[in-house]
Amino acid sequence: MAIRSLKTGQFSRSALVGNPVIMPGSYESIATVTVGSGGAASIEFTSIPSTYSHLQIRGIARGTKSSTVAFLNMKLNSDTGTNYAYHILQGDGASAVGSAVANDTFMDWARYPAASATASIFGASVIDILDYGNTNKFKTVRYLGNYDANGSGYLEFRSGLWRSTSAISTITFSWDSGDFAQYSTFALYGVN
Amino acid sequence: MALQLFKIADVTVGSPVTDVTFSSIPSGYTDLKLVVSARTNGTGTPAIGFYFNGSNANWTGRGLEGSGSTAYSFSSTSSNTFTLNTTSQTANTFASGEFYVPNYTSSNNKSVSVDGVMENNATAAYASILAQLWSSTAAVTSITIVPSSGSFATNTTATLYGVL
Repeated sequence: MAIRSLKTGQFSRSALVGNPVIMPGSYESIATVTVGSGGAASIEFTSIPSTYSHLQIRGIARGTKSSTVAFLNMKLNSDTGTNYAYHILQGDGASAVGSAVANDTFMDWARYPAASATASIFGASVIDILDYGNTNKFKTVRYLGNYDANGSGYLEFRSGLWRSTSAISTITFSWDSGDFAQYSTFALYGVN
Repeated sequence: MALQLFKIADVTVGSPVTDVTFSSIPSGYTDLKLVVSARTNGTGTPAIGFYFNGSNANWTGRGLEGSGSTAYSFSSTSSNTFTLNTTSQTANTFASGEFYVPNYTSSNNKSVSVDGVMENNATAAYASILAQLWSSTAAVTSITIVPSSGSFATNTTATLYGVL
């Protein structure tokens, strides 16, 4: 007999006698946003539950900026103050560079394909936020993102610092210019 | 089948400790994943050491690192990995990192994928990606993390997951 999860809709084996015991996993989907045909100026996760240990965001994105690249920004709890810093390790297929920015108004996750880039190419990223609910810590974010545009592209390993001990309840993505193109998708996961 | 993640154990440091060890790790998973949010009360630019079965020997590695102003690649002959925050950096700021250990019970040498960042509201900070190798065919039954200088500060956390 199969059991259907009310949370995910997925079917699993039962824990009846003779069957394996089902262990709850530690990785759960919280929300997913996919941009529709009209595009979107921002992608935002609000009312993030405080019940997990860590957060992970996985996404693909493309901008509508009139350029080959757009720069993805991230803010936490809608804080627009100069409370962010970020550090950059970047490769472009030819060389690697390191750089840093302090006292900024957002975390900059850098280059994604935009309107002038080859059609249908999206950048991909994985973002980890450990101890997002810990009110004794400023929040350190790890970011790995990349895209290849068949002749150009970037690989970015970055870190971000939000100088606040507040628990994270809202995460907002936007661009330096333009909107998210259709099919851009970000999925937020909670990790117990 | 989708990847499944199961928490094996977690540790929150209540007062400074010289190391954190996960012992008696079950053998029933495919891979292991350890995530760490850590700071030390040490000085300089200490790294976080990561080793198996109490053995700090037979470790080698390759790294790619950014320092906030430049990028470089390096090799090592130790279990030290990414850089930790110390009292010299922005207060309340903890390094963040992940160790991924595929096939931890196999009878081959053990490769470990590591990525970690030390943040700071200033130019100097370190982002590191490393390939670590433990030249031992022993199954992994314990994992130890240790700062190369000082002790893990209060509120350091480490969470060990089994991956199926």
